[in-house]
Amino acid sequence: MPGILFPRGVVEGRESLEVYRARGGYEALDKTLKQLSSDQVMQIVAESGLRGRGGAGFPTGKKWAFTAEAPETPHYVVLNGGEDEPGSMKDRLLMESLPHLVLEGIVLAAYAVKASKAYLYINAAYKDAIQSMLDALAEAKQAGYCGERILGSDFSLEVLLTPAPHEYVAGEDTAALEVIEDKKPLPRQKPPFPATSGLFGKPTAVNNVETLANVPPIIAKGAKWYRSFGTAESPGTMIFSLNDEVKKPGVYELAFGTPLRYLIEKCGGGTREGKKIKAILPGGPSSAFLRAEQIDVALDHNSVRAAGSSIGCGVVGIVVERSCIVEEVLRIAEFFAAESCGQCPACRMETNMLAMMLKKVQQGQGGQPILDQFSKVIAFNKGKGFCNLVNMPGPPIESALKLFRSDFDFHLANGRCP
Amino acid sequence: MKRICLVCQNVDCKIRGSEAIMKELQQGVTDRGLSDVEVRPYMCFGACQEGPNVVLYPEKSWYASVKKEDLNDILGHLAGGPDVKRLDTIDGSLKELIYQLLDTGVF
Repeated sequence: MPGILFPRGVVEGRESLEVYRARGGYEALDKTLKQLSSDQVMQIVAESGLRGRGGAGFPTGKKWAFTAEAPETPHYVVLNGGEDEPGSMKDRLLMESLPHLVLEGIVLAAYAVKASKAYLYINAAYKDAIQSMLDALAEAKQAGYCGERILGSDFSLEVLLTPAPHEYVAGEDTAALEVIEDKKPLPRQKPPFPATSGLFGKPTAVNNVETLANVPPIIAKGAKWYRSFGTAESPGTMIFSLNDEVKKPGVYELAFGTPLRYLIEKCGGGTREGKKIKAILPGGPSSAFLRAEQIDVALDHNSVRAAGSSIGCGVVGIVVERSCIVEEVLRIAEFFAAESCGQCPACRMETNMLAMMLKKVQQGQGGQPILDQFSKVIAFNKGKGFCNLVNMPGPPIESALKLFRSDFDFHLANGRCP
Repeated sequence: MKRICLVCQNVDCKIRGSEAIMKELQQGVTDRGLSDVEVRPYMCFGACQEGPNVVLYPEKSWYASVKKEDLNDILGHLAGGPDVKRLDTIDGSLKELIYQLLDTGVF
């Protein structure tokens, strides 16, 4: 299926500057510098309805407006390529395969928010992606798409690389800013938000790789064209990641609103060995479980929310029949306990406590009363952290208890999986 | 049933000396021959700002901001003496949450 980012379907292999140019690459930048003001670029992005692809789904135009209108200078743009969500591969693929598309998105974002410096914040484990982006940067500078007086205009942009530590919190936007400032990846208290007080305390647009990759086609072809993909509330496409639970794992770019069934069955080829689905995590480990019967839900922010979960950054997890949900949530809880950076007491307590409680349940200890304690621990700590990690174990655990209570009951009664 | 004296060993409590407090309590329990008391580390009680935290179970006595000079009184309580009212400063709702967890065997 043709997409916006991958017009001929997802292809691996690095796209050269020549090939990118031959399919209209950097035309959006050329058009922008000749015809559009910063405000007009922002207006087009706002009208397109582009939403952040890093997980929160915040409208990009709105985020940029805060930065562009902030009186303090200088302004910065940060490409967030930390990508530490387990199972997510989309940002790496974009940086490896379509580095010029990503780079053009960065230059356009910088023009829109009036930034003169941008940082490529890329997972240090992604050696090929880093090289691909650095090569693209050198080629683009050579061709006049980046650096001093871009395409002969008054607009200049310096782009620098900061490798991102390969740990979960390092992908959080304020933790990214800390790393670029040569500090440890610890999230900052918000507000203030990076948009107005970010890198070195200055207004900063921090955007996910996929988000920025959407900008060149939006500017080149217009907001109306962009809105012909997807739904009114979630325009465009999204890149979904499928992992080893399906026959054909990989990334798939689909218009928002495509049924989840299409992604799993048509794109992924169904579950490995054709096993029946028991549960689905539509938005990574911090999303709530859906029941197998909800497989026809449309993949857009509103529909997935109405179904009781969230779309996150598009990592779709599948639990097949005969798998135990207690084991699944224990794994998730232990992940968050390990990845909590430890600076907020509530997060440290909650993530460790939930993991320990699930371990008890797994071993058949605690009896029915322990099951009533999960929601209390989650409620007690809700929102009590600098970043959102404190809220992340809640949806999978609470939905698992609601939808698959019998797995918990079996563990409590027998000390083993059903 | 063994009585348990739980000493928080999460980062905040540790920074405030909870490791040494746990060791002294263990030694104190041995010295006093309190064979029915076990002093154990606990992952976190969620009252980090008021650490080091020590909780006695099943007594459900919570002692906060414990210093070495408080240990004699806490050991006295464990030996059957009065509870240490001046160290009982934790909010009731947090106590309830933690006591319910301890009741389910989470320690």
